[in-house]
Amino acid sequence: MLALATMNGLVIGAIYALAALGVSLVVGIMNVINFAHGELYILAGYFSYILADTLGMHFVLAMVLAVALVFLFGIFVEYTLIRPTYGNDMYSLILTFILSIVLQNAYLLIFGPYPNKPPGWVGGATHVFGAFYYGNQRLAALVAGAVVIAFVFVLVKKTWFGRIIRATSQDREMAELNGVNTTRLNMLSFGLGCALAAAAGVILAPVFPVTPTAGVPVALTAFVVVVLGGMGSLWGCVVGGLILGLVENLGAAYISTGYKHVFNFIILILVLLVRPAGLFGRREA
Amino acid sequence: MTDIRFYLILFAAAGLFSLLPLGLGDYHLHVMIVSLYYLMMASSWNLLAGYTGQVSFAHAAFAGIGAYTSGILAVKFGVNPWAGVIIGTAAASLLGLGVGVLCLRMGGIYLSLTTLGFSEILRIVITNEYDITRGTMGLQVPGLVEEYSKAAYFYIMLGAAMITLIVLYKLIYSNKGLCFRAVQNDERAAASLGVDVVKVRVLAFTVSSALAGLAGGLYGHYLHLITPEIPSLDQQFLVLSMTVIGGMGSFLGPVIGAFSLEILSEYIRAYGEYHVLVFGLIALVVARFAPNGLMGLAASRLPGGPAPAVTVPSTGKS
Amino acid sequence: MRGKKMSIRVLVLVLGLAFAVGSAWAQETIKVGVVGPRTGTAAATGKAFEEGIKLATDYVNAKGGVLGKKLEIVFEDTAGAPDKAASGFERLVTRDKVVMVLGESHSSSALAEIEVAERFKVPFIVVEAWADPITAKNYKHVFRAGPSNSGVVNETIAKWVVHEKFKKAFIVAENTDWGLGIAELTKAALTKAGVQFDFLVTERQSQDHYTELSKIKAYDPDVVLAYVYGTGLHYFVAQAGEVKLMPKAVVLDGAGPPSLWPDYWKNVGDAGDLECFVSSMHEKVELTPLATEFREAYVKAFGGPPTDYKSRSIYDSILIAADAINRAGSTDSDKLVDALEKTNLLVTRGTVKFGTEKGGPGYHQWDPPMLVVQWQKRQQVVLYPPEAATGKLMR
Repeated sequence: MLALATMNGLVIGAIYALAALGVSLVVGIMNVINFAHGELYILAGYFSYILADTLGMHFVLAMVLAVALVFLFGIFVEYTLIRPTYGNDMYSLILTFILSIVLQNAYLLIFGPYPNKPPGWVGGATHVFGAFYYGNQRLAALVAGAVVIAFVFVLVKKTWFGRIIRATSQDREMAELNGVNTTRLNMLSFGLGCALAAAAGVILAPVFPVTPTAGVPVALTAFVVVVLGGMGSLWGCVVGGLILGLVENLGAAYISTGYKHVFNFIILILVLLVRPAGLFGRREA
Repeated sequence: MTDIRFYLILFAAAGLFSLLPLGLGDYHLHVMIVSLYYLMMASSWNLLAGYTGQVSFAHAAFAGIGAYTSGILAVKFGVNPWAGVIIGTAAASLLGLGVGVLCLRMGGIYLSLTTLGFSEILRIVITNEYDITRGTMGLQVPGLVEEYSKAAYFYIMLGAAMITLIVLYKLIYSNKGLCFRAVQNDERAAASLGVDVVKVRVLAFTVSSALAGLAGGLYGHYLHLITPEIPSLDQQFLVLSMTVIGGMGSFLGPVIGAFSLEILSEYIRAYGEYHVLVFGLIALVVARFAPNGLMGLAASRLPGGPAPAVTVPSTGKS
Repeated sequence: MRGKKMSIRVLVLVLGLAFAVGSAWAQETIKVGVVGPRTGTAAATGKAFEEGIKLATDYVNAKGGVLGKKLEIVFEDTAGAPDKAASGFERLVTRDKVVMVLGESHSSSALAEIEVAERFKVPFIVVEAWADPITAKNYKHVFRAGPSNSGVVNETIAKWVVHEKFKKAFIVAENTDWGLGIAELTKAALTKAGVQFDFLVTERQSQDHYTELSKIKAYDPDVVLAYVYGTGLHYFVAQAGEVKLMPKAVVLDGAGPPSLWPDYWKNVGDAGDLECFVSSMHEKVELTPLATEFREAYVKAFGGPPTDYKSRSIYDSILIAADAINRAGSTDSDKLVDALEKTNLLVTRGTVKFGTEKGGPGYHQWDPPMLVVQWQKRQQVVLYPPEAATGKLMR
């Protein structure tokens, strides 16, 4: 049971990390928490379902297209809702909170309460280490998640775009003085944050089918990961995500299945008490 | 507005309201009772969000603390519901103080996320501690009055709503109130003028939690049934929408918001699945284009009307 | 200045409220209320109810209606939440002035509603909420024309477990009133039958059951009795297939309808085959001529055979209500209760007679016969009771 719980913790943890990366990126650059993060994750799941299942597209193409569509939707949201609130983080919170409820109910109306599941990539299960059976789709999700995370790291740490992002999140005014168009950067990074939510969504939807409200726990966990890892820290997301995934699954295996999700929030409160800036955060976050 | 004006208007309005049971049937009285509950919830959340700029997502959770404390005491220990409501209010204010001290030093996003976590923990504990809370099935609790009567509950809620409004008025229009707004408008400036920013926030958070606890306690006993719906995020959304639509940071805004949305929701209930969507869209449009809500709109329509009490977001590009 | 404006606003507010005071509709029809989830995670039930309501009102009104007037059904959404259910029930009584209320599919909601029914003295026929206390409270105005937990467990599930000679069982229950209640009854019944078992609670909304499944697998049961409702069941079955719990162990869906929902197969894939579920309906087993009539009317109206058996449950309850109103000759609450107690009516699931002995869940209760069905190559095969069986258990 230990082996299975650990394996499951790693897989779920990787997906938490991926979902949290989007939140973290947006917080780091714009100081905005996007409450509708989970609903964008779900939106991507629906898109990939429609494209692959209803329209019969190849699943890889459907996934890429779904992420691109959510990226555009994110830019639209930034332009219409978020942009006027810069300088007032509380107001963007309220707006995105309302947006998340609106989206949930819109999904309910359009797609109904039933879960929708895009086609799986692989079938069957693998006998891992001769110890337990593990769904192949989950293993594939782990690999895909790791690839996307690596891509984000390369983007932020190694490219010109990444340098601008890092400069802006460290000192916005300085970046502006050096000719960075922060309005456009905000728009792009918000869209990128949404696209990361979407990536997590399309990767996980074949494992956990999407329902109108399934995004709520995803977003809550992503927020906890971001606080745990430290606002704006990418490494923090990865480590935080894996910690949460492991704690949740080991806790469920050995302490209580009913309290599975409470462990997250206990960690959140401990972090706030002991080290509010998070594991990898800057002190004055 | 002077104190005398305020009390005159409050008591006149309450007097008019107290005539309602003479003309209204059970169904419409029920709508009024629920509206009064939301009035208390929205007004007290407004103290926090509208006057100190801290967005808490645990307001409904604190109502749940009040309701469950009182309900469990009544069911398990036979405590008188009235005493239970008072203990529930105290419990909510203590927890509010705890959460406030824990995260208000950092404020902002941390408060929002912690309160969100708090309400989620509460939900999970309530669902799991089935033996005590009866989980999602809800806890059947005794009423506040011997003989069930809508009119009696209406007067109880009306009284509680008046107490809430008076407490809020006292706070907002006192020196403390000035501090609140100073803290919201410019934290650093307020601090440099000798305002203890954290203390002011914690005070607002504690009072607002206590008032939510009071509202939740009374509401639970009115419904005779306390469920995890009371402390849910959906309820939090309703309270937030009412405040935003009515006008955040204005005294009357949440009052107007609570009544108009509750009555509207009764009218569009026939379209079950659409009504939350309609609310959300209205709230989104109002929040985006009329950040001071209906009160802000009313003020700008009337020539020479007062400027909105607080300028909420900066609507221009920053 | 400001005060004046404020008082104008207050005045406008009060006038607005005055408009809210609607006038009651003139009574041209006899109204019966239906409560059920039309939104939320169990909205599928509401859809099944709507179908049943349409067929039943057509049927009743074609036969002359009730007391010479047309029967009108008012459907109130409960969203599957007890508080909304209680206030919705109250709204039916105080605003719509219904003479009787039917329906409900969530035990937790029903338990809240029976209090309101008793407070307002309105007869209430529960249709698909199974918790024992609903009738065990022995409320005068509360009836149930549908399965009860103890009926389903003692008459169907436990007997089936013994019938199939299962030695080790694992009970999985969601943490709701229905789940925990039916799990307790199952534990008692299995203890009595001498079947070894273990038990765990799972979260209703959980999407990931791997940890629970590994615990179950470690126990190595012959049968898993899953009391998880809604899409939670789909996740459970799909993942049970992935970790290869099945087909060694047989999985029984103790609720039924989720295994019949349109997207069951899409969500569970091949793991769904050989799964068993309880049901009160089967395409090849029809107990009364009315059941055939119902199926034909259903196909005509909706272009396909009924999937969720709850459409037929609500259909039956409307027939019971119309019959009682006609026999009572009035809409007076006491007379209706009296007439309901004397019900002896053939509906789609058999002949309805309510128990009248106080002191247990049998009071005001009618248990329709339930079947255990297994998916075999995506076809429904009845396994239990033996007299209705159309095949043998496959594993």
